[in-house]
Amino acid sequence: MDATTQANPLAGGGVTKQRRCVDVVIAEDSRIQAKMLERRLVEAGHTVRWAIDGAKALEMVRERRPAIIISDIEMPEMTGYQLCAAVKSDPLFKTIPLILLSTLSDPVDIIRGLDAGADNYVTKPYEPDYLLARMESLLDTPLEDLDETAGVVLEVTLAEQKFRVKAGRQQVLNLLVSTFENAVAKNKELIESNQSLSVAKTSLEKSNTILTELNEQVERSNARMIRDLHAAAKVQRSLLPGEAIAIPSMTVAWRYVPCQELAGDFLNIFPLDAEHVGMFVVDVSGHGVPSSLLAVTIGAFLTPKISDSSLLVRPGKNGGPPVVSGPAEVATRLNRIFQADEQAGLYFTLLYGVLHVPSGQLRFVSGGHPPLVRVPKEGPLELIECEGFPIGFVPDIEYEEQTIQLQPGDRIYLYSDGVPEAMSESLEQLGDDRMKALIESVRAQPLEANVVHLLDAVQTWCLPKGPLDDVSILGIEWHG
Amino acid sequence: MTTEPFRKLDVTKIGKVEVAQFKDKKILDEGVLDELRVELFRLIADRPNLDLLLDFSNVEFMSSAMLGLLGQTHRKVNLLKGRLKMCGIAPQIYEVFKLTNLNKLFAIHKDAAEALAKF
Repeated sequence: MDATTQANPLAGGGVTKQRRCVDVVIAEDSRIQAKMLERRLVEAGHTVRWAIDGAKALEMVRERRPAIIISDIEMPEMTGYQLCAAVKSDPLFKTIPLILLSTLSDPVDIIRGLDAGADNYVTKPYEPDYLLARMESLLDTPLEDLDETAGVVLEVTLAEQKFRVKAGRQQVLNLLVSTFENAVAKNKELIESNQSLSVAKTSLEKSNTILTELNEQVERSNARMIRDLHAAAKVQRSLLPGEAIAIPSMTVAWRYVPCQELAGDFLNIFPLDAEHVGMFVVDVSGHGVPSSLLAVTIGAFLTPKISDSSLLVRPGKNGGPPVVSGPAEVATRLNRIFQADEQAGLYFTLLYGVLHVPSGQLRFVSGGHPPLVRVPKEGPLELIECEGFPIGFVPDIEYEEQTIQLQPGDRIYLYSDGVPEAMSESLEQLGDDRMKALIESVRAQPLEANVVHLLDAVQTWCLPKGPLDDVSILGIEWHG
Repeated sequence: MTTEPFRKLDVTKIGKVEVAQFKDKKILDEGVLDELRVELFRLIADRPNLDLLLDFSNVEFMSSAMLGLLGQTHRKVNLLKGRLKMCGIAPQIYEVFKLTNLNKLFAIHKDAAEALAKF
Protein backbone atom coordinates (compact mmCIF):
# COMPACT_ATOMS: atom_id res chain seq x y z
CA MET A 1 0.00 0.00 0.00
CA ASP A 2 1.12 3.51 -0.80
CA ALA A 3 2.71 5.14 2.18
CA THR A 4 1.16 8.54 1.42
CA THR A 5 -2.31 7.09 1.24
CA GLN A 6 -1.82 5.30 4.50
CA ALA A 7 -0.49 8.35 6.26
CA ASN A 8 -3.19 10.67 5.00
CA PRO A 9 -6.47 9.07 4.05
CA LEU A 10 -7.87 12.42 2.94
CA ALA A 11 -5.26 12.66 0.21
CA GLY A 12 -7.34 10.43 -2.11
CA GLY A 13 -5.58 8.61 -4.95
CA GLY A 14 -1.93 7.92 -4.65
CA VAL A 15 0.59 10.27 -6.19
CA THR A 16 3.13 7.73 -7.28
CA LYS A 17 3.08 5.99 -10.62
CA GLN A 18 4.62 2.90 -9.08
CA ARG A 19 2.56 0.12 -7.71
CA ARG A 20 -0.34 2.00 -6.28
CA CYS A 21 -2.07 0.48 -3.30
CA VAL A 22 -5.15 2.30 -2.19
CA ASP A 23 -8.11 1.94 0.12
CA VAL A 24 -11.28 0.90 -1.72
CA VAL A 25 -14.88 0.87 -0.51
CA ILE A 26 -17.18 -1.53 -2.33
CA ALA A 27 -20.94 -1.11 -2.07
CA GLU A 28 -22.51 -4.32 -3.33
CA ASP A 29 -25.51 -6.23 -2.00
CA SER A 30 -24.51 -9.47 -3.68
CA ARG A 31 -22.12 -11.22 -1.35
CA ILE A 32 -20.67 -13.41 -4.07
CA GLN A 33 -20.00 -10.55 -6.44
CA ALA A 34 -18.52 -8.45 -3.63
CA LYS A 35 -16.20 -11.28 -2.62
CA MET A 36 -15.06 -11.86 -6.20
CA LEU A 37 -14.29 -8.19 -6.66
CA GLU A 38 -12.63 -7.95 -3.25
CA ARG A 39 -10.34 -10.87 -4.03
CA ARG A 40 -9.28 -9.34 -7.30
CA LEU A 41 -8.58 -5.96 -5.66
CA VAL A 42 -6.64 -7.53 -2.81
CA GLU A 43 -4.58 -9.47 -5.34
CA ALA A 44 -3.76 -6.14 -6.96
CA GLY A 45 -2.50 -4.92 -3.60
CA HIS A 46 -5.41 -2.76 -2.49
CA THR A 47 -7.18 -2.76 0.84
CA VAL A 48 -10.90 -3.30 0.65
CA ARG A 49 -13.86 -2.51 2.81
CA TRP A 50 -17.13 -4.01 1.76
CA ALA A 51 -20.56 -2.53 2.52
CA ILE A 52 -23.76 -4.41 1.85
CA ASP A 53 -25.62 -1.27 0.78
CA GLY A 54 -25.20 2.44 0.08
CA ALA A 55 -25.93 3.54 3.64
CA LYS A 56 -23.26 1.27 5.12
CA ALA A 57 -20.83 2.39 2.44
CA LEU A 58 -21.44 6.04 3.29
CA GLU A 59 -20.74 5.26 6.94
CA MET A 60 -17.45 3.66 5.94
CA VAL A 61 -16.51 6.66 3.82
CA ARG A 62 -17.19 8.97 6.75
CA GLU A 63 -15.28 6.72 9.08
CA ARG A 64 -12.19 6.81 6.90
CA ARG A 65 -11.87 8.45 3.53
CA PRO A 66 -11.15 5.84 0.80
CA ALA A 67 -9.19 6.52 -2.36
CA ILE A 68 -12.03 5.26 -4.52
CA ILE A 69 -15.57 3.93 -4.27
CA ILE A 70 -17.02 1.15 -6.41
CA SER A 71 -20.77 0.87 -6.10
CA ASP A 72 -23.52 -1.32 -7.43
CA ILE A 73 -26.73 0.56 -8.37
CA GLU A 74 -29.61 -1.61 -7.18
CA MET A 75 -29.26 -2.02 -3.42
CA PRO A 76 -31.60 -1.91 -0.45
CA GLU A 77 -31.44 1.07 1.94
CA MET A 78 -29.46 3.42 -0.30
CA THR A 79 -29.01 2.91 -4.06
CA GLY A 80 -25.80 3.53 -5.92
CA TYR A 81 -27.18 6.82 -7.28
CA GLN A 82 -28.12 7.98 -3.79
CA LEU A 83 -24.71 6.99 -2.43
CA CYS A 84 -23.05 8.81 -5.30
CA ALA A 85 -25.15 11.93 -4.76
CA ALA A 86 -24.39 11.90 -1.02
CA VAL A 87 -20.66 11.53 -1.60
CA LYS A 88 -20.51 14.14 -4.33
CA SER A 89 -22.51 16.71 -2.40
CA ASP A 90 -20.16 16.49 0.54
CA PRO A 91 -17.28 18.96 0.10
CA LEU A 92 -15.04 16.63 2.10
CA PHE A 93 -15.60 13.63 -0.15
CA LYS A 94 -16.66 14.99 -3.52
CA THR A 95 -13.22 14.44 -5.00
CA ILE A 96 -13.32 10.72 -4.28
CA PRO A 97 -13.79 9.03 -7.64
CA LEU A 98 -16.82 6.78 -7.79
CA ILE A 99 -17.40 3.96 -10.25
CA LEU A 100 -20.93 2.73 -10.79
CA LEU A 101 -21.47 -0.89 -11.73
CA SER A 102 -24.39 -0.73 -14.13
CA THR A 103 -26.22 -3.02 -16.47
CA LEU A 104 -26.58 0.02 -18.76
CA SER A 105 -29.89 -1.26 -20.03
CA ASP A 106 -31.26 2.25 -20.52
CA PRO A 107 -29.62 5.50 -21.75
CA VAL A 108 -31.34 7.22 -18.82
CA ASP A 109 -28.99 5.27 -16.53
CA ILE A 110 -26.06 7.30 -17.84
CA ILE A 111 -27.74 10.65 -17.26
CA ARG A 112 -28.90 9.48 -13.89
CA GLY A 113 -25.32 8.57 -13.04
CA LEU A 114 -24.05 11.87 -14.37
CA ASP A 115 -26.72 13.66 -12.37
CA ALA A 116 -25.60 11.81 -9.27
CA GLY A 117 -22.03 12.80 -10.04
CA ALA A 118 -20.62 9.40 -10.91
CA ASP A 119 -17.18 9.45 -12.46
CA ASN A 120 -17.26 6.23 -14.33
CA TYR A 121 -19.42 3.39 -15.49
CA VAL A 122 -18.49 -0.22 -15.75
CA THR A 123 -21.13 -2.45 -17.23
CA LYS A 124 -21.95 -5.77 -15.68
CA PRO A 125 -20.79 -8.37 -16.24
CA TYR A 126 -17.28 -6.92 -16.33
CA GLU A 127 -13.77 -8.19 -16.70
CA PRO A 128 -11.93 -7.50 -13.38
CA ASP A 129 -8.90 -6.25 -15.34
CA TYR A 130 -11.07 -3.73 -17.15
CA LEU A 131 -12.40 -2.44 -13.84
CA LEU A 132 -8.87 -2.18 -12.48
CA ALA A 133 -7.81 -0.24 -15.57
CA ARG A 134 -10.72 2.18 -15.08
CA MET A 135 -9.67 2.61 -11.46
CA GLU A 136 -6.07 3.38 -12.47
CA SER A 137 -7.14 5.99 -14.96
CA LEU A 138 -9.40 7.70 -12.44
CA LEU A 139 -6.68 7.70 -9.81
CA ASP A 140 -4.30 9.20 -12.39
CA THR A 141 -6.36 12.37 -12.69
CA PRO A 142 -7.28 13.61 -9.24
CA LEU A 143 -10.54 15.50 -9.35
CA GLU A 144 -9.50 18.34 -7.04
CA ASP A 145 -7.27 19.71 -9.83
CA LEU A 146 -10.14 19.99 -12.24
CA ASP A 147 -12.81 21.55 -10.21
CA GLU A 148 -13.10 24.76 -12.18
CA THR A 149 -16.59 24.12 -13.48
CA ALA A 150 -17.99 22.83 -10.22
CA GLY A 151 -21.26 24.43 -9.41
CA VAL A 152 -22.41 24.77 -13.05
CA VAL A 153 -25.76 23.08 -13.47
CA LEU A 154 -26.77 21.70 -16.84
CA GLU A 155 -30.30 20.67 -17.68
CA VAL A 156 -30.66 17.60 -19.82
CA THR A 157 -33.90 16.09 -21.10
CA LEU A 158 -33.88 12.46 -21.99
CA ALA A 159 -36.84 10.21 -22.59
CA GLU A 160 -39.19 12.97 -21.45
CA GLN A 161 -37.38 13.22 -18.15
CA LYS A 162 -35.51 16.29 -16.99
CA PHE A 163 -32.18 15.85 -15.29
CA ARG A 164 -30.20 18.53 -13.60
CA VAL A 165 -26.57 17.64 -14.03
CA LYS A 166 -24.06 19.46 -11.90
CA ALA A 167 -20.92 17.54 -12.47
CA GLY A 168 -17.45 18.91 -13.03
CA ARG A 169 -16.06 18.89 -16.57
CA GLN A 170 -13.57 16.15 -15.84
CA GLN A 171 -16.33 14.08 -14.31
CA VAL A 172 -18.51 14.50 -17.37
CA LEU A 173 -15.62 13.70 -19.61
CA ASN A 174 -14.63 10.63 -17.61
CA LEU A 175 -18.17 9.40 -17.58
CA LEU A 176 -18.67 9.96 -21.29
CA VAL A 177 -15.37 8.25 -22.07
CA SER A 178 -16.32 5.29 -19.94
CA THR A 179 -19.73 5.13 -21.57
CA PHE A 180 -18.11 5.26 -24.97
CA GLU A 181 -15.61 2.57 -23.98
CA ASN A 182 -18.45 0.47 -22.73
CA ALA A 183 -20.27 0.95 -25.98
CA VAL A 184 -17.12 -0.01 -27.89
CA ALA A 185 -16.71 -3.11 -25.72
CA LYS A 186 -20.35 -4.05 -26.25
CA ASN A 187 -19.99 -3.43 -29.96
CA LYS A 188 -16.95 -5.71 -30.03
CA GLU A 189 -18.96 -8.39 -28.26
CA LEU A 190 -21.74 -7.91 -30.79
CA ILE A 191 -19.32 -8.23 -33.69
CA GLU A 192 -17.90 -11.35 -32.12
CA SER A 193 -21.32 -12.93 -31.65
CA ASN A 194 -22.14 -11.89 -35.19
CA GLN A 195 -19.05 -13.70 -36.37
CA SER A 196 -19.93 -16.83 -34.40
CA LEU A 197 -23.44 -16.59 -35.83
CA SER A 198 -22.06 -16.40 -39.31
CA VAL A 199 -19.79 -19.39 -38.58
CA ALA A 200 -22.82 -21.27 -37.23
CA LYS A 201 -24.76 -20.31 -40.34
CA THR A 202 -22.02 -21.65 -42.61
CA SER A 203 -21.87 -24.89 -40.66
CA LEU A 204 -25.67 -25.13 -40.80
CA GLU A 205 -25.55 -24.65 -44.55
CA LYS A 206 -22.92 -27.39 -44.77
CA SER A 207 -25.04 -29.76 -42.65
CA ASN A 208 -28.00 -28.92 -44.83
CA THR A 209 -26.05 -29.82 -47.94
CA ILE A 210 -24.96 -33.09 -46.33
CA LEU A 211 -28.54 -33.82 -45.30
CA THR A 212 -29.78 -33.11 -48.81
CA GLU A 213 -27.13 -35.43 -50.20
CA LEU A 214 -28.06 -38.14 -47.69
CA ASN A 215 -31.69 -37.69 -48.58
CA GLU A 216 -30.87 -38.11 -52.24
CA GLN A 217 -28.88 -41.23 -51.37
CA VAL A 218 -31.85 -42.63 -49.46
CA GLU A 219 -34.10 -41.84 -52.39
CA ARG A 220 -31.67 -43.49 -54.79
CA SER A 221 -31.40 -46.60 -52.57
CA ASN A 222 -35.14 -46.62 -52.24
CA ALA A 223 -35.58 -46.42 -55.99
CA ARG A 224 -33.00 -49.18 -56.41
CA MET A 225 -34.76 -51.35 -53.85
CA ILE A 226 -38.09 -50.82 -55.57
CA ARG A 227 -36.46 -51.73 -58.91
CA ASP A 228 -34.90 -54.82 -57.28
CA LEU A 229 -38.24 -55.71 -55.75
CA HIS A 230 -39.95 -55.41 -59.13
CA ALA A 231 -37.18 -57.49 -60.70
CA ALA A 232 -37.51 -60.11 -57.95
CA ALA A 233 -41.28 -60.15 -58.38
CA LYS A 234 -40.73 -60.68 -62.11
CA VAL A 235 -38.42 -63.63 -61.40
CA GLN A 236 -41.07 -65.00 -59.11
CA ARG A 237 -43.77 -64.61 -61.75
CA SER A 238 -41.64 -66.81 -64.01
CA LEU A 239 -42.60 -69.64 -61.63
CA LEU A 240 -46.22 -69.25 -62.73
CA PRO A 241 -47.89 -70.77 -65.77
CA GLY A 242 -47.25 -69.08 -69.10
CA GLU A 243 -49.89 -66.99 -70.81
CA ALA A 244 -51.72 -69.73 -72.68
CA ILE A 245 -51.89 -73.19 -71.24
CA ALA A 246 -53.11 -75.45 -73.99
CA ILE A 247 -53.29 -79.01 -72.81
CA PRO A 248 -55.44 -81.37 -74.84
CA SER A 249 -58.44 -82.91 -73.04
CA MET A 250 -58.18 -80.35 -70.24
CA THR A 251 -59.29 -76.88 -69.28
CA VAL A 252 -57.12 -74.94 -66.87
CA ALA A 253 -57.87 -71.76 -64.91
CA TRP A 254 -55.79 -70.15 -62.20
CA ARG A 255 -55.45 -67.03 -60.09
CA TYR A 256 -52.57 -65.91 -57.95
CA VAL A 257 -52.63 -62.79 -55.76
CA PRO A 258 -49.62 -62.15 -53.55
CA CYS A 259 -50.43 -60.11 -50.40
CA GLN A 260 -47.13 -58.27 -50.74
CA GLU A 261 -44.92 -57.57 -53.73
CA LEU A 262 -43.00 -60.78 -53.04
CA ALA A 263 -44.85 -63.91 -52.12
CA GLY A 264 -44.27 -67.30 -50.59
CA ASP A 265 -46.91 -68.91 -52.81
CA PHE A 266 -46.52 -70.14 -56.33
CA LEU A 267 -48.29 -72.57 -58.57
CA ASN A 268 -47.86 -74.14 -61.96
CA ILE A 269 -49.23 -76.72 -64.36
CA PHE A 270 -47.43 -78.17 -67.37
CA PRO A 271 -47.05 -81.32 -69.44
CA LEU A 272 -44.33 -83.61 -68.13
CA ASP A 273 -44.29 -85.85 -71.17
CA ALA A 274 -46.71 -86.90 -73.88
CA GLU A 275 -49.21 -88.38 -71.41
CA HIS A 276 -48.62 -86.74 -68.04
CA VAL A 277 -49.46 -83.32 -66.70
CA GLY A 278 -47.86 -82.07 -63.48
CA MET A 279 -49.55 -79.49 -61.27
CA PHE A 280 -48.75 -77.98 -57.91
CA VAL A 281 -49.40 -75.25 -55.38
CA VAL A 282 -46.52 -74.40 -53.05
CA ASP A 283 -46.90 -72.22 -49.97
CA VAL A 284 -43.69 -71.12 -48.22
CA SER A 285 -44.32 -69.96 -44.65
CA GLY A 286 -44.07 -66.21 -44.08
CA HIS A 287 -43.97 -63.50 -46.71
CA GLY A 288 -41.55 -61.06 -48.23
CA VAL A 289 -37.98 -61.50 -49.39
CA PRO A 290 -36.88 -64.60 -47.39
CA SER A 291 -40.00 -66.59 -48.31
CA SER A 292 -39.82 -65.45 -51.90
CA LEU A 293 -36.14 -66.41 -52.21
CA LEU A 294 -36.94 -69.86 -50.93
CA ALA A 295 -39.90 -70.08 -53.33
CA VAL A 296 -37.64 -69.31 -56.30
CA THR A 297 -35.11 -71.90 -55.11
CA ILE A 298 -37.82 -74.54 -54.78
CA GLY A 299 -39.13 -73.55 -58.21
CA ALA A 300 -35.83 -74.55 -59.81
CA PHE A 301 -36.45 -78.14 -58.71
CA LEU A 302 -40.08 -78.21 -59.81
CA THR A 303 -39.48 -77.79 -63.51
CA PRO A 304 -40.72 -79.97 -66.37
CA LYS A 305 -37.49 -79.31 -68.27
CA ILE A 306 -35.62 -82.58 -68.32
CA SER A 307 -32.47 -82.08 -66.33
CA ASP A 308 -30.56 -83.50 -63.41
CA SER A 309 -31.90 -80.78 -61.13
CA SER A 310 -35.55 -81.37 -62.01
CA LEU A 311 -37.23 -83.58 -59.49
CA LEU A 312 -40.22 -84.05 -61.80
CA VAL A 313 -38.71 -85.52 -64.95
CA ARG A 314 -35.37 -87.27 -65.23
CA PRO A 315 -33.50 -88.22 -68.37
CA GLY A 316 -34.18 -91.81 -69.42
CA LYS A 317 -31.48 -94.42 -68.95
CA ASN A 318 -29.32 -95.21 -71.98
CA GLY A 319 -31.03 -92.56 -74.10
CA GLY A 320 -34.47 -93.98 -73.38
CA PRO A 321 -37.59 -91.82 -72.93
CA PRO A 322 -37.65 -89.40 -69.96
CA VAL A 323 -38.95 -90.74 -66.68
CA VAL A 324 -41.76 -88.95 -64.82
CA SER A 325 -41.26 -89.13 -61.05
CA GLY A 326 -44.18 -90.15 -58.87
CA PRO A 327 -45.61 -87.41 -56.59
CA ALA A 328 -44.56 -89.18 -53.39
CA GLU A 329 -41.00 -89.47 -54.64
CA VAL A 330 -40.97 -85.75 -55.46
CA ALA A 331 -42.15 -84.81 -51.95
CA THR A 332 -39.69 -87.18 -50.29
CA ARG A 333 -36.77 -85.74 -52.25
CA LEU A 334 -37.87 -82.14 -51.68
CA ASN A 335 -38.02 -82.86 -47.96
CA ARG A 336 -34.46 -84.11 -48.05
CA ILE A 337 -33.27 -80.97 -49.80
CA PHE A 338 -35.20 -78.33 -47.87
CA GLN A 339 -34.93 -78.72 -44.11
CA ALA A 340 -36.46 -75.81 -42.18
CA ASP A 341 -33.60 -75.87 -39.68
CA GLU A 342 -31.19 -74.85 -42.39
CA GLN A 343 -33.44 -72.05 -43.67
CA ALA A 344 -34.30 -69.98 -40.58
CA GLY A 345 -37.39 -71.98 -39.70
CA LEU A 346 -38.96 -71.47 -43.12
CA TYR A 347 -40.82 -74.53 -44.29
CA PHE A 348 -43.37 -75.05 -47.03
CA THR A 349 -46.48 -76.96 -47.81
CA LEU A 350 -47.01 -78.51 -51.18
CA LEU A 351 -49.71 -80.26 -53.08
CA TYR A 352 -48.31 -81.96 -56.14
CA GLY A 353 -50.38 -83.95 -58.56
CA VAL A 354 -49.59 -85.92 -61.72
CA LEU A 355 -52.49 -86.55 -64.07
CA HIS A 356 -52.29 -89.34 -66.59
CA VAL A 357 -54.27 -87.58 -69.27
CA PRO A 358 -55.40 -90.58 -71.33
CA SER A 359 -56.87 -92.40 -68.31
CA GLY A 360 -57.87 -89.58 -65.95
CA GLN A 361 -55.89 -91.12 -63.13
CA LEU A 362 -54.64 -88.45 -60.72
CA ARG A 363 -51.89 -89.29 -58.27
CA PHE A 364 -51.09 -86.65 -55.72
CA VAL A 365 -49.10 -86.03 -52.57
CA SER A 366 -49.58 -83.47 -49.83
CA GLY A 367 -46.85 -82.02 -47.69
CA GLY A 368 -49.01 -80.50 -44.95
CA HIS A 369 -51.13 -78.79 -47.60
CA PRO A 370 -54.91 -78.23 -47.47
CA PRO A 371 -56.93 -81.00 -49.19
CA LEU A 372 -57.85 -80.71 -52.83
CA VAL A 373 -61.44 -80.13 -53.85
CA ARG A 374 -63.04 -82.49 -56.28
CA VAL A 375 -66.17 -81.34 -58.08
CA PRO A 376 -67.61 -84.34 -59.90
CA LYS A 377 -69.68 -83.69 -62.98
CA GLU A 378 -72.60 -84.89 -60.93
CA GLY A 379 -72.99 -85.28 -57.18
CA PRO A 380 -71.67 -83.45 -54.14
CA LEU A 381 -68.19 -81.96 -54.10
CA GLU A 382 -65.64 -83.39 -51.69
CA LEU A 383 -62.38 -82.51 -49.99
CA ILE A 384 -59.77 -85.20 -50.53
CA GLU A 385 -56.92 -85.30 -48.05
CA CYS A 386 -53.58 -86.94 -48.29
CA GLU A 387 -51.61 -87.09 -45.09
CA GLY A 388 -48.07 -85.78 -44.95
CA PHE A 389 -46.03 -83.35 -42.90
CA PRO A 390 -45.04 -79.99 -44.32
CA ILE A 391 -41.81 -80.14 -46.30
CA GLY A 392 -38.81 -79.48 -44.10
CA PHE A 393 -40.29 -80.53 -40.78
CA VAL A 394 -39.17 -84.08 -40.24
CA PRO A 395 -35.95 -85.30 -41.83
CA ASP A 396 -35.84 -88.43 -43.90
CA ILE A 397 -39.49 -89.37 -44.03
CA GLU A 398 -41.15 -91.16 -46.91
CA TYR A 399 -44.23 -89.41 -48.26
CA GLU A 400 -47.20 -91.42 -49.42
CA GLU A 401 -49.48 -90.58 -52.30
CA GLN A 402 -53.17 -90.89 -53.06
CA THR A 403 -54.70 -91.94 -56.34
CA ILE A 404 -58.12 -90.86 -57.57
CA GLN A 405 -59.88 -91.74 -60.77
CA LEU A 406 -61.45 -88.76 -62.54
CA GLN A 407 -64.57 -89.04 -64.63
CA PRO A 408 -65.01 -86.90 -67.75
CA GLY A 409 -66.23 -83.46 -66.71
CA ASP A 410 -64.74 -83.67 -63.21
CA ARG A 411 -63.04 -80.61 -61.82
CA ILE A 412 -60.18 -80.46 -59.34
CA TYR A 413 -59.11 -77.41 -57.34
CA LEU A 414 -55.74 -76.93 -55.74
CA TYR A 415 -55.34 -73.86 -53.53
CA SER A 416 -53.24 -72.37 -50.78
CA ASP A 417 -54.43 -71.90 -47.21
CA GLY A 418 -54.97 -68.23 -48.06
CA VAL A 419 -58.41 -69.36 -49.29
CA PRO A 420 -59.94 -71.28 -46.36
CA GLU A 421 -57.99 -69.27 -43.77
CA ALA A 422 -58.89 -65.89 -45.26
CA MET A 423 -59.57 -63.66 -42.24
CA SER A 424 -62.47 -61.23 -42.05
CA GLU A 425 -62.21 -57.91 -40.26
CA SER A 426 -63.76 -59.54 -37.19
CA LEU A 427 -61.04 -62.24 -37.39
CA GLU A 428 -63.40 -64.96 -38.60
CA GLN A 429 -62.00 -67.44 -41.09
CA LEU A 430 -63.71 -68.18 -44.37
CA GLY A 431 -63.48 -71.90 -43.57
CA ASP A 432 -63.88 -75.09 -45.58
CA ASP A 433 -67.67 -75.10 -45.52
CA ARG A 434 -68.05 -71.60 -46.95
CA MET A 435 -65.34 -72.36 -49.54
CA LYS A 436 -67.22 -75.48 -50.64
CA ALA A 437 -70.51 -73.59 -50.78
CA LEU A 438 -68.92 -70.86 -52.92
CA ILE A 439 -67.68 -73.40 -55.46
CA GLU A 440 -70.96 -75.28 -55.33
CA SER A 441 -72.97 -72.14 -56.05
CA VAL A 442 -71.39 -71.56 -59.45
CA ARG A 443 -70.45 -75.09 -60.50
CA ALA A 444 -72.73 -74.89 -63.53
CA GLN A 445 -70.58 -72.07 -64.92
CA PRO A 446 -67.31 -72.49 -66.80
CA LEU A 447 -64.15 -73.28 -64.82
CA GLU A 448 -62.64 -69.83 -65.33
CA ALA A 449 -65.76 -68.17 -63.86
CA ASN A 450 -65.54 -70.51 -60.87
CA VAL A 451 -61.95 -69.58 -60.11
CA VAL A 452 -62.67 -65.86 -60.47
CA HIS A 453 -65.75 -66.17 -58.27
CA LEU A 454 -63.76 -67.88 -55.51
CA LEU A 455 -61.01 -65.27 -55.62
CA ASP A 456 -63.53 -62.41 -55.55
CA ALA A 457 -65.24 -64.00 -52.56
CA VAL A 458 -61.95 -64.30 -50.68
CA GLN A 459 -61.07 -60.68 -51.37
CA THR A 460 -64.52 -59.48 -50.35
CA TRP A 461 -64.32 -61.58 -47.17
CA CYS A 462 -61.09 -59.80 -46.19
CA LEU A 463 -62.39 -56.25 -46.73
CA PRO A 464 -61.43 -53.57 -45.97
CA LYS A 465 -57.79 -54.51 -45.49
CA GLY A 466 -57.57 -57.23 -48.11
CA PRO A 467 -56.03 -60.70 -47.67
CA LEU A 468 -53.15 -61.04 -45.17
CA ASP A 469 -51.86 -64.10 -46.97
CA ASP A 470 -51.06 -64.97 -50.55
CA VAL A 471 -54.00 -66.48 -52.40
CA SER A 472 -53.43 -69.20 -55.01
CA ILE A 473 -56.15 -71.11 -56.83
CA LEU A 474 -55.58 -73.65 -59.60
CA GLY A 475 -58.54 -75.39 -61.20
CA ILE A 476 -58.58 -78.10 -63.87
CA GLU A 477 -61.34 -79.84 -65.73
CA TRP A 478 -60.70 -83.20 -67.35
CA HIS A 479 -62.76 -83.77 -70.44
CA GLY A 480 -61.92 -87.46 -70.81
CA MET B 1 -30.09 -71.05 -17.14
CA THR B 2 -29.91 -67.34 -17.71
CA THR B 3 -31.68 -65.07 -15.26
CA GLU B 4 -32.67 -62.53 -17.91
CA PRO B 5 -36.48 -62.33 -17.86
CA PHE B 6 -38.61 -63.50 -20.77
CA ARG B 7 -40.90 -60.97 -22.42
CA LYS B 8 -42.98 -63.31 -24.49
CA LEU B 9 -43.05 -66.36 -22.24
CA ASP B 10 -44.13 -67.11 -18.68
CA VAL B 11 -41.70 -69.78 -17.60
CA THR B 12 -42.30 -71.86 -14.48
CA LYS B 13 -40.76 -75.10 -13.41
CA ILE B 14 -43.20 -77.75 -12.27
CA GLY B 15 -41.34 -80.81 -11.01
CA LYS B 16 -38.71 -81.38 -13.66
CA VAL B 17 -40.79 -79.88 -16.47
CA GLU B 18 -40.20 -76.35 -17.78
CA VAL B 19 -43.63 -74.95 -18.53
CA ALA B 20 -43.50 -72.07 -21.00
CA GLN B 21 -46.76 -70.23 -21.47
CA PHE B 22 -47.08 -67.89 -24.44
CA LYS B 23 -48.13 -64.47 -23.19
CA ASP B 24 -49.46 -63.15 -26.49
CA LYS B 25 -53.06 -63.46 -27.59
CA LYS B 26 -52.01 -63.12 -31.19
CA ILE B 27 -48.93 -64.69 -32.69
CA LEU B 28 -49.30 -63.26 -36.16
CA ASP B 29 -46.61 -60.82 -37.18
CA GLU B 30 -43.01 -61.67 -37.88
CA GLY B 31 -41.70 -59.41 -35.11
CA VAL B 32 -43.48 -61.44 -32.42
CA LEU B 33 -42.29 -64.63 -34.08
CA ASP B 34 -38.67 -63.47 -34.10
CA GLU B 35 -38.81 -62.58 -30.41
CA LEU B 36 -40.40 -65.91 -29.58
CA ARG B 37 -37.71 -67.73 -31.55
CA VAL B 38 -34.96 -66.00 -29.57
CA GLU B 39 -36.64 -66.70 -26.24
CA LEU B 40 -37.53 -70.33 -26.94
CA PHE B 41 -34.01 -71.08 -28.16
CA ARG B 42 -32.61 -69.34 -25.09
CA LEU B 43 -34.84 -71.47 -22.88
CA ILE B 44 -33.70 -74.67 -24.58
CA ALA B 45 -30.07 -73.48 -24.88
CA ASP B 46 -28.02 -76.67 -24.72
CA ARG B 47 -29.94 -78.35 -21.96
CA PRO B 48 -29.85 -82.12 -22.41
CA ASN B 49 -32.91 -84.19 -21.43
CA LEU B 50 -35.07 -81.06 -21.21
CA ASP B 51 -38.74 -81.70 -20.56
CA LEU B 52 -40.57 -78.77 -22.12
CA LEU B 53 -44.29 -78.04 -22.11
CA LEU B 54 -45.55 -75.24 -24.34
CA ASP B 55 -48.82 -73.84 -23.04
CA PHE B 56 -51.01 -72.12 -25.66
CA SER B 57 -53.94 -71.25 -23.39
CA ASN B 58 -53.53 -67.48 -23.89
CA VAL B 59 -53.23 -67.74 -27.66
CA GLU B 60 -56.33 -66.93 -29.71
CA PHE B 61 -54.75 -66.38 -33.12
CA MET B 62 -51.66 -67.93 -34.59
CA SER B 63 -50.17 -67.66 -38.05
CA SER B 64 -49.02 -70.81 -39.77
CA ALA B 65 -45.47 -69.40 -39.80
CA MET B 66 -45.42 -70.23 -36.07
CA LEU B 67 -45.48 -73.90 -37.03
CA GLY B 68 -42.00 -73.49 -38.46
CA LEU B 69 -40.74 -72.30 -35.10
CA LEU B 70 -42.51 -75.17 -33.33
CA GLY B 71 -40.82 -77.54 -35.77
CA GLN B 72 -37.42 -76.05 -34.97
CA THR B 73 -38.15 -76.26 -31.24
CA HIS B 74 -39.24 -79.88 -31.62
CA ARG B 75 -36.06 -80.72 -33.49
CA LYS B 76 -33.78 -79.01 -30.96
CA VAL B 77 -35.41 -80.68 -27.96
CA ASN B 78 -35.26 -84.09 -29.66
CA LEU B 79 -31.61 -83.70 -30.57
CA LEU B 80 -30.86 -83.03 -26.90
CA LYS B 81 -32.82 -86.18 -25.98
CA GLY B 82 -35.48 -84.10 -24.30
CA ARG B 83 -39.27 -84.27 -24.57
CA LEU B 84 -41.62 -81.61 -25.96
CA LYS B 85 -45.33 -81.46 -25.31
CA MET B 86 -47.98 -78.85 -26.05
CA CYS B 87 -51.28 -78.03 -24.37
CA GLY B 88 -54.12 -75.53 -24.16
CA ILE B 89 -54.52 -75.22 -27.92
CA ALA B 90 -57.78 -73.48 -28.88
CA PRO B 91 -59.96 -75.30 -31.46
CA GLN B 92 -59.37 -72.76 -34.24
CA ILE B 93 -55.62 -73.07 -33.75
CA TYR B 94 -55.80 -76.83 -33.56
CA GLU B 95 -57.25 -76.64 -37.07
CA VAL B 96 -53.91 -75.25 -38.30
CA PHE B 97 -52.14 -78.25 -36.78
CA LYS B 98 -54.66 -80.62 -38.30
CA LEU B 99 -54.50 -79.05 -41.73
CA THR B 100 -50.77 -79.58 -41.84
CA ASN B 101 -50.92 -82.99 -40.13
CA LEU B 102 -48.65 -81.64 -37.44
CA ASN B 103 -51.11 -82.77 -34.78
CA LYS B 104 -49.60 -86.17 -35.53
CA LEU B 105 -46.03 -84.99 -35.15
CA PHE B 106 -46.40 -83.08 -31.90
CA ALA B 107 -47.54 -84.46 -28.56
CA ILE B 108 -50.63 -82.34 -27.93
CA HIS B 109 -52.67 -82.50 -24.73
CA LYS B 110 -55.85 -80.84 -23.54
CA ASP B 111 -54.40 -78.93 -20.61
CA ALA B 112 -51.27 -78.60 -18.51
CA ALA B 113 -52.40 -81.12 -15.89
CA GLU B 114 -52.96 -83.81 -18.51
CA ALA B 115 -49.67 -83.00 -20.26
CA LEU B 116 -47.64 -82.99 -17.01
CA ALA B 117 -49.04 -86.41 -16.11
CA LYS B 118 -47.67 -87.79 -19.39
CA PHE B 119 -44.04 -86.73 -18.91
